[in-house]
Amino acid sequence: MSSTGRSLRWAAACGAVLMAALACGGSSNTGGTVTFKGTKNIGLSIALTGQSALYGHAISQSMKLAADEINAKGGINGYKVNADILDDATQVANAVNNIKSLILQDNVVAMLGNVTSAQCQATSPIAKQNKVIFIAATCNSYQLTTEPDLVNPYYVSVVPNTFMEGTAAGELAAKTGAKKIFIVSPKYLFGISETNAFVAELKKVAPSATIINDPSTWYVPFPTNPRWDSTINAIQAAKPDLVYSNIFAADQINFITQALQVDPNFFQKYPMTTLASVDELQSLGSKYPLGMHLYQRAPFFALNNPAMNGFVTKYHDRYGEYPSDWAVMDYDAMTMYAKAANAAGSFDADKVRSQIVGHSFDSLRGYKFTIRDGDQQANVGETVGTTGDSGGKYPFPILVNSTNLKGDDLLMPTAILQQLQAGQCEKTPGTPNTTDFSVCPAWKTS
Amino acid sequence: MDPGKFLLFATGGLADAAYLFIVAAGLSLVFGALRVINMAHGSLYMIAAMVSVVVANRLGAGIGFLPALLCAVLVAAAIGAVIETTVLKRVYGHEHLVQLLATYAIALIIGGAARLIFGSNYRTTSTPIQGSLTILGYSYSLYALVMIVAAILIGLGMYGLLFRTRLGRNIRAAVSDPELLNASGVNVTLLYTAVFTVGAGLAGLGGAIVAPSQAVDPTIGDSVLVLAFAISVIGGLGSIIGSAVGALMVGEVISFGLINPTTNSFALAFVFIIMTLVLTVRPWGLFGRPEA
Repeated sequence: MSSTGRSLRWAAACGAVLMAALACGGSSNTGGTVTFKGTKNIGLSIALTGQSALYGHAISQSMKLAADEINAKGGINGYKVNADILDDATQVANAVNNIKSLILQDNVVAMLGNVTSAQCQATSPIAKQNKVIFIAATCNSYQLTTEPDLVNPYYVSVVPNTFMEGTAAGELAAKTGAKKIFIVSPKYLFGISETNAFVAELKKVAPSATIINDPSTWYVPFPTNPRWDSTINAIQAAKPDLVYSNIFAADQINFITQALQVDPNFFQKYPMTTLASVDELQSLGSKYPLGMHLYQRAPFFALNNPAMNGFVTKYHDRYGEYPSDWAVMDYDAMTMYAKAANAAGSFDADKVRSQIVGHSFDSLRGYKFTIRDGDQQANVGETVGTTGDSGGKYPFPILVNSTNLKGDDLLMPTAILQQLQAGQCEKTPGTPNTTDFSVCPAWKTS
Repeated sequence: MDPGKFLLFATGGLADAAYLFIVAAGLSLVFGALRVINMAHGSLYMIAAMVSVVVANRLGAGIGFLPALLCAVLVAAAIGAVIETTVLKRVYGHEHLVQLLATYAIALIIGGAARLIFGSNYRTTSTPIQGSLTILGYSYSLYALVMIVAAILIGLGMYGLLFRTRLGRNIRAAVSDPELLNASGVNVTLLYTAVFTVGAGLAGLGGAIVAPSQAVDPTIGDSVLVLAFAISVIGGLGSIIGSAVGALMVGEVISFGLINPTTNSFALAFVFIIMTLVLTVRPWGLFGRPEA
């Protein structure tokens, strides 16, 4: 065998070994070679199936995109980041099992929050017990940061909480001038929490407005029966000026679809103020009614800025879809964690927390948000507006005449926060869903 | 409550009952004839709903509905025939637990396959019948009324099949005494395949009919299976009339229960309270027959 042939074989073997080494943990980026010290998992137990599958789908896609971008910039503290995602089928029990598995077996360094507040209510204490940073970007009941049994120093929220959303919804409903309002809400922590805040704000800003259905009928079982005949008929019987709802995902799609079958002008006769996300708009497409008064957490089309536009392009190129509000917020959650952990130079939860609380972070939403001390809540805003035609730009309606309400104007006042944390605003002390702001000393004086 | 409101809520209950009856009738028929608790029944419902949405949207929502419905029923029935001939045949005569686990495994396989084929996202399609009726000042969905009529026709069709045809006689004989039927020269193997295929087709019909009025994803069969079981137990496993009465009770309990401030919190629980009462007082259901 010639020496040239031997050299070629050695070169090929070296190349193969190098390729294998790169595939097994080493990595390089286009700007130069980056060798990771290893891999760290960031966990997510999410609804890839079940009632909230629509949201989980977008969240998991966004998390993978964020992880890839973080890795392309060198990872966190020299480690490659892996998005460790498990499906919980929108079930609380599954979420609990998943978080235990993620923390105890996969040794995640941080968790992103689940979709529903009921799930976060069950999983946040496990994260607290194991000292794992828990970043909520979807579940958002204010009880998760105010209820004494649930307060978790490692819990951080980058999503407007139910107090902020209920306040935004109350202001939006008041602007319609409606006097007779019908409430439809899912019967679990989130629905009760947001409805409490909505009713409290409405009483402040539109004292002459009345809720015309009995409080015991405000809530529908969650997850609900897919047929909404009973609620649709109750609305027809009550003839409200406005329907307020915070039903979401499959429930909202089914409700709207069936209401339009009952009467194509249903939402003209009974205008609706409701929570929504890009996901519901995208799912129903042109069938999503125009003229709906929506409040949204992070609709990309109303938050026009270079960072958001770049993200939308990347997301659409990769997945062929438009990013939902959840995708935007979970991306923010991942980049916030990366920045804080890099600043801490550690994955230790206490050290990372100290780089989160009181610090400001860039957001796709076009502004910096700050995590305040006390409830670790970001001062993120809420977007409100009315659905209208996108003029062919998107295959679904968008918000026209939208307003981005500032987070600082929606945040729960510190005095009320402290009173909630001390159990001073509950009809039944120790019960997380019996908040009555009218009994809060600070609310009375505000 | 004024007559207009009463009619409104009663019709809402009927619309719920309509699709539940179609699904529960298939479940009940299969249990009655084969003594198999089919946990995959909801999966067949889901597959048919998925197929109907995909086909309807491909052909053009509205006009594509009837071909989509036919296609969905055929797919569900074909999957049913495959399940019966490849799996169930091997577990007839075994304990109910074995059958339950076998059909549960099939349900998981179908669910996984649906996610691979269709993805986890919700899919929607338009209703083939647009428009509404106004009666006593309240609007009614024409499609919901068509669903109710379809359920009545399907019920009558099944009654005709069971009580006016030789196949029906044999099915009823299989429910009453399968061993005697076998001895009388009827091809029981083929009969069982036919019954399971019809049951699967009914699950498919339910899925295809309900698809234009709700978001369809690979998990929609789960909740309907629970209610279909409750209806079958209340009405009596094996009884079509029982399924109709059970579905009517469940639909109306939910419709009137949810609007009443006193019963709102317990509306869905009432369904299972009724089921428990029936199981306690008359374990074979309101229209069923006790097992020999």
